Amino acid sequence: MTAAPASPVATSSPGAGALPPAAFGAALARLPGMGPRRLAALLAEAAPDEAWRRVRAGRGLDGPGLRRALGTRAGELVARWRAAAAGLDPAAEWRRLAGAGVGAAVHGGPDYPPALAGDVEPPAVLFHRGDPAVLTGLRVAIVGTRRCSSTGAAVATELGRDLAAAGVAVVSGLASGIDAAAHRGALAAGGAPPIGVVGSGLDTVYPRGQERLWRDVAAAGVLLSEAPLGGAPERWRFPARNRVIAALADVVVVVESHRRGGSLHTVDEADRRGVEVMVVPGSVRNPAAAGTNELLADGRPPACSADDVLVALGLATVGRAGGPDRRPLPSPDDRRVLEAVGWQPVSLDQVALRTGLGVAELAAALDRLADTGWVARHGGWYERVAEAGP
Amino acid sequence: MLATVRSATLLGVEGRPVRVEIHVAPGLPSFTVVGLPDTTCREARDRVRAALVSCGLKWPNARVTVNLAPPGLRKVGAGLDLAIAVGLLAASEQVPASSLVGRSFLGELGLDGSVRPVPGALPLIEALGDPEVVVAEGSTVEAQLVGRHTVRPVSTLTTVVAALRGTVEWPRPSPPAAPPPPDRGPDLADVRGQPAARFALEVAAAGGHHLLLVGPPGAGKTMLARRLPGLLPDLSPEHALEATCIHSAAGLPLPPGGLVRRPPFRAPHHGASAVSLVGGGSHTMQPGEISLAHRGVLFLDELGEFDPVVLDSLRQPLEEGTIRVSRASAKVTFPARVLLVAAMNPCPCGEGAVPGGCRCTPAARSRYARRLSGPLVDRFDLRVEVGRPEVADLLADGSGEPTAAVAARVAAARELAASRGVPANAQLPAWRLDEVAPLDRGATRLVERRLREGRLTGRGLGGVRRVARTVADLAGHTGPLGVEHVSAALALRCEPLFLEGRAS
Repeated sequence: MTAAPASPVATSSPGAGALPPAAFGAALARLPGMGPRRLAALLAEAAPDEAWRRVRAGRGLDGPGLRRALGTRAGELVARWRAAAAGLDPAAEWRRLAGAGVGAAVHGGPDYPPALAGDVEPPAVLFHRGDPAVLTGLRVAIVGTRRCSSTGAAVATELGRDLAAAGVAVVSGLASGIDAAAHRGALAAGGAPPIGVVGSGLDTVYPRGQERLWRDVAAAGVLLSEAPLGGAPERWRFPARNRVIAALADVVVVVESHRRGGSLHTVDEADRRGVEVMVVPGSVRNPAAAGTNELLADGRPPACSADDVLVALGLATVGRAGGPDRRPLPSPDDRRVLEAVGWQPVSLDQVALRTGLGVAELAAALDRLADTGWVARHGGWYERVAEAGP
Repeated sequence: MLATVRSATLLGVEGRPVRVEIHVAPGLPSFTVVGLPDTTCREARDRVRAALVSCGLKWPNARVTVNLAPPGLRKVGAGLDLAIAVGLLAASEQVPASSLVGRSFLGELGLDGSVRPVPGALPLIEALGDPEVVVAEGSTVEAQLVGRHTVRPVSTLTTVVAALRGTVEWPRPSPPAAPPPPDRGPDLADVRGQPAARFALEVAAAGGHHLLLVGPPGAGKTMLARRLPGLLPDLSPEHALEATCIHSAAGLPLPPGGLVRRPPFRAPHHGASAVSLVGGGSHTMQPGEISLAHRGVLFLDELGEFDPVVLDSLRQPLEEGTIRVSRASAKVTFPARVLLVAAMNPCPCGEGAVPGGCRCTPAARSRYARRLSGPLVDRFDLRVEVGRPEVADLLADGSGEPTAAVAARVAAARELAASRGVPANAQLPAWRLDEVAPLDRGATRLVERRLREGRLTGRGLGGVRRVARTVADLAGHTGPLGVEHVSAALALRCEPLFLEGRAS
């Protein structure tokens, strides 16, 4: 790990003798078969240091909540925990976290993010890399499929960029596809700090190849996880991760989802919490938009641009309403070319056919229009621009 | 008795003189060929023996040694058959030894004594120093192209022997027929709409700039590429001879009249191996497709489907105009000055040309983009997105501008390039750009803006100036390049959208 976070363990530094409760919480999270629900049940019955002592001793683990969470295999689990705890030292665990630049907080502790403290199912122990203090202000989760279309990725990038620029933090899961696209947009805008919630340990980059994105998000904002260091990206961790994303969001925007996509689980979690879910409409021919279009049919409001989301958040949309167009007016000849370009992307061929101009003359006119901000060029495609760009 | 006959063998696409020395000595009857013959060449013994017997000549009942000098050069093919047979007859005193002076022999023998043409006759005869050449009738046209020799076309060994003995006159070659007007291939008038793609084709032909056509299936990329050779001017006599040598050596059928006067067009399939594309082979050293397209057009359809390793093997020849192929047995240089035209789909699903139209996953797209190396894409100074023609254009009457009209403009532009001392503007060296392609004030500002925006790199600037020079030449504009020329060059050099997603 290269990037050192701004303040790895701001509030409680590992000292001899007096270990903070989070150290015991982190050690407990490392036990085999310890998922968020069991950890929450365990810590509901005892403070972290006391819970650790009980696990070490293998005694006193029979409260009603914990019995429910452990189910029928309680005896076997307690024995496994006891064996594993014998080989674990909370102090060493605490030093390992500090060495990896990762901080931890237990629910109810003073440094636990208030944004999650009041949730219906808060993470009992939360690991973070980067600055957890950025979890204030408005947050929008942008979620969607890993197997997205390029249109979907472009929309996610634009939403991420425009929302971050408007001061709204983007929450996402750092998976490839929509998640990564949204965060790339947010990072590019350099506005509100990005928030990434991942399913694996904070030293275990998943999917591989996203190291750079992880690093950038941790440097600009914060990365959160319920998994201890070295935690593998196991399947059951992702629905749990989705619940944290929903818990953090003021609005959830689904960009593209297949008919049975994992994003729909995030939608369920958002519904449990009364968080508004907005949906980006997709083409009826796009299988990656089948799930999102069904959400629309269920009556979810559409999110066609960042403006729609900002309105849902109660923010005034910025900079769109007022102000005269400052772009220099094109000459009559250029105006003809501009009208031939239109609002859909067109190739040079199509503009040439519509105007009847020669390629050299046309290219010069398009260059003038691009330089004055009337036309945008992507590769070999030209498109009209509504207003002067950034 | 000893006899020496002069002939030639092929090394790559060049002929190399060979001295065939025959020694006939008393002893146990045997026949040995030494001097690095390949299998076909070694088997000359059996063909020569049968041919001699069929023609009623005597097979010497003695110890025969054939030495092919120089001994270090591998002799390939059956072209030495005739020389071995004639030498054997001279060494066994069946024809006068003096009759071999000043004559070279080239041809394969059939078992019935017929003399057959061999591939590569043109470069082989080019390598012969004697004033007279005796060749198969089928090689007459190629021998006459060389033009330095008195050509003796023969059809049977009997004729050769009779002529050598002086009992009959040598046959005379028929005077070469006037070649029919060369075929320019399919006409550009068939292309409906697509003005930008047509213009790119014209610029590529006029300036010799490599062209990449990107578009969905059915956009007419292949149709456009096939019309490019027709826009190029006829080959100069020197270039025509170069091309003909290569085609002859590769055993390709030559056009009527023998000379390849039109730029060749080669379109290898995307399954092609590196050797089939750049040339080589273990010891036959065959020219590859890029050499067969020398002075013409090499068209790589479905560029994205070629093996990336194969494509990268094209980079050096594209830069230098020649390929050096080295093998343990020999090192050969093949000429390879081509105009490269490539066509590809924007992404695996083919619909990614229109922004947002693609249904591919990002992973599939980046895999596809990675198949093209950046340095190879940099070789294309013209990169054009070709869209499917609009329905109205397909149904409209009236055809586009015909090939002949465009070819006339191309020829005029090529003349301007020739006045600068290069065959085409693409070959202008970087240090001459300030002299022949200066930018006027507006054009300088435009280039500065694009460089600052990062839409143009320093490396790309040279290509843009060369293309802009060609655009100006086509418009008959002399003097510094204006905004419209540079704008056009920039418009014809789009960074294909799919390359933007290229993983770093």
